Amino acid sequence: MTRPILRLPTLPRRSDPVTPDSGGSGSHADHPPRSLHRPRPLHNRSQRLLATRAVRDAIVSLAGVVGRPVRNQGGAEIGKLVDVVCRWDDNETYPPVTGLVVRVGRSVSFVDGAAIEAIVHTEVRLHSARVDLREFEPRPGEVLLAKQVLDYQLVDVDGVKVIRASDLYLAPVFGGYRLVGVDVSAQSLLRRLGPARWRTLATPDRVIDWGAIQPFGDTPRGAAPEVRLRTSNAGLERLRPGELADLLEDLMRPERQELLDSLSPEEAADALEEMDPEELASLLREADPAQAAELVGNMEPDEAVDALRDLNSDERANVLGAMPLAKAAPLIRLLTYPEDEAGGFMTTAFVVAPVTETVAELVDRLGHAAECPEELDAVALVDEDGTFVWDLPLLQLIVTPGHTPLHELVGEADPVTVDSHARVQEVAERLVEARRLSVVVVEDDRPVGRILADDVLDALTPERGRFHFPRLLQ
Amino acid sequence: MKVLQSRRARGFLLYLAAAGPGLIAANAGNDAGGVATYASAGAQFGYRPLFFMVVITIGYVCVQEMVARLAAHTGKGLGALIREQFSLRLSAFAIVAFAIANIGLVVTEFAGIGAAFELFGVSRYLSVPLAAVAIWALVMLGSYRYAERIFLLMSLVFITYPIAMILGHPDWHAVVANTFVPHFLRSSAFILVGVALIGTTITPYIQLYTAGAVVDRGIGPDEYKYERVDAVSGAILSDLVSMFIIIATASVLGGTGALTSAAQAAKALEPLAGRWAEDLFGLGLLGASALAAAVVPLSTSYALAETVGVERSVSKTFREAPLFLGLFTAQIIVGSAVVLIPGNLFTLIINAQVLEGVITPITLVFLLVLANRRSLLGAAANGRLARSVGLVTVVVVGLFASFLVFQTVLGWFGVSL
Repeated sequence: MTRPILRLPTLPRRSDPVTPDSGGSGSHADHPPRSLHRPRPLHNRSQRLLATRAVRDAIVSLAGVVGRPVRNQGGAEIGKLVDVVCRWDDNETYPPVTGLVVRVGRSVSFVDGAAIEAIVHTEVRLHSARVDLREFEPRPGEVLLAKQVLDYQLVDVDGVKVIRASDLYLAPVFGGYRLVGVDVSAQSLLRRLGPARWRTLATPDRVIDWGAIQPFGDTPRGAAPEVRLRTSNAGLERLRPGELADLLEDLMRPERQELLDSLSPEEAADALEEMDPEELASLLREADPAQAAELVGNMEPDEAVDALRDLNSDERANVLGAMPLAKAAPLIRLLTYPEDEAGGFMTTAFVVAPVTETVAELVDRLGHAAECPEELDAVALVDEDGTFVWDLPLLQLIVTPGHTPLHELVGEADPVTVDSHARVQEVAERLVEARRLSVVVVEDDRPVGRILADDVLDALTPERGRFHFPRLLQ
Repeated sequence: MKVLQSRRARGFLLYLAAAGPGLIAANAGNDAGGVATYASAGAQFGYRPLFFMVVITIGYVCVQEMVARLAAHTGKGLGALIREQFSLRLSAFAIVAFAIANIGLVVTEFAGIGAAFELFGVSRYLSVPLAAVAIWALVMLGSYRYAERIFLLMSLVFITYPIAMILGHPDWHAVVANTFVPHFLRSSAFILVGVALIGTTITPYIQLYTAGAVVDRGIGPDEYKYERVDAVSGAILSDLVSMFIIIATASVLGGTGALTSAAQAAKALEPLAGRWAEDLFGLGLLGASALAAAVVPLSTSYALAETVGVERSVSKTFREAPLFLGLFTAQIIVGSAVVLIPGNLFTLIINAQVLEGVITPITLVFLLVLANRRSLLGAAANGRLARSVGLVTVVVVGLFASFLVFQTVLGWFGVSL
């Protein structure tokens, strides 16, 4: 995977696809910003704004400019810059600056973005002498960069990493100022700790282009937001469940909730399956029961049961209670098996077929099944009494002519099965013996579930979980 | 090191069942620094410090409640909250304060290990470097979890303090009088002990720890009402054990002056263990110190990495998490190196608690500001009562600390109060 971090001095391109609007001519106003959206950002990095030399030369450090004078047309100081307002907008990769918060005397007022002439390292210049002194009321999607974004967590989608913004960079592009990058370097932190004049120097050591960033918090933090995560970075959809799981683990609760809300229940459930069990339990605990139920309901039954086991009985009852009975019932049944027995880590999402069926009937049934298990590799065949007789590999099913009755495919040897009370070690041995990716679990000769090789691997791999805040007596 | 088990009080029996681990945890909170300071206070001033402990407990309960509330309602640890809520310079100041206090604690723990081994006749110049390497390796190799249980079992020795206290036949009348009748010792020696008692009870470290543990267990605003019971009862329980240590030591050694060795402190266990008192005490001291010697530097690194916003995991390599693992290693090295400077180990432990006590008011101010902030906590922000109790705690703790600093600085110029 390409590294997300742009080491600016070694950037390859000098010929720029976009001429930055440093003169303020507005000639690029007709460029829809959407055109900057790279179709596949991971492979088309050169179209990122920060790859543009002129943009890099014009960037202004937010941490540096905050606290600096705001001057009117005539150059007279009207106040000090307190914050910069940006709008998170789904159609804009680089959020436009929509206003400034300025301290005038003792009061704090809002200056509309249209009045901005230039933002430079040491000051802000306005077009007009007149400043509309009104209270800052955030409009939908608007955030205060210094108060709500700087120093908070963000997701670097390209690098698949949770970062904390140590500086934000603004640049004049597309006929206005926009947020173009975020700095994550320790140097920037030191620069901000030092004397005020250090702060104005943009020292982009490790700058991540804003196009790779998933921001949070377009609603006041702490308040119950009605609409969350208006700008969902397109790159999020390309992340693997395991990568999403890493991000979810590293985020703090409010940000984690936002990210979770932006995913579809299926995507979220896939990511949850990859999470560290303790982190997952903590996530389910803090979600409200309805959301937790939806997430758990979308997980594979064996993973869902694992997750439920890590909750205490009250919490478990709450989650199961919020689930439709059809989903909850098999989970409740699985929960009755001890965790370390085959029944405890098998999945009940598996396919059983009577030997009286023909191949074509079975294939047809599989095709019409509402929910076909994703990891299907074989079909358990049963006779008229429901007794398990043969585990039919999927490949054989595909290559056999459709009119063949299933009982003709039943092999000579005894099929390999495990008892629902078998221990992990025994299941592993059975799997090795069968040379299969999964093994059928039986109870009184009836198939009740299937154990996949990866679950056995999980159970046998020594736990080397993620690091938590160190605590005792877990 | 308190571990507040999430539990829902459903009847008295259940509560008692849950109090077991709580008691163990509260006892584990009495690390080398705690045991040394409480024992020394008892030896020097008899039962007199008991009322002071009651006052400290009120402040401690209030602080723990605030920390747990902050963590439950924001879902963030103290490091992250400070970075997000204060200017970068103030955040850096707070984090440096926390870091210095925690390094003081690491020194304490290694001094505890050294003192324990000296009881068994092993030189600290041998035991401390070996222990440092062993603890570092245990954590880095990921097998600390097992060692931790052994250390925890060893530290359970200190649970014998209440029994030793009863067997030591303290003057119960004096105990009750000194606990409940307000009084104050006007001596500069008591100021020093007072600051040490504050520092070892309301340790900045415990604040980081409690917040981290609450966040980690996914305690949200809805579960907070149970968490509060835990936080408050945990704080009270832990201070009760502290008071038992003071009483037990006071009844055996009361009025003999400040302690200067672990062997003296062990005498408090003699009514129970007779000639085995030193071995018993050494075992407990070793367990409690070794336990904390790993957890304290880990927590500091964790909180710092959280504040800066970088990788924080022991399962990463040095290249992936240089700040986290580098800080952890540095603390172990500094902590154990300080202990190797020739001098009295027991006095070093108590002096480190004094350092904690001087830093405590700084971190408490940050905490109080956060807990008062309506923009952060909304309706869960400190009400009028919590605000005033918090303020009084900060002022009292701050007065003690600044008086001590003042007195020390004057002392450099030959002025004594």
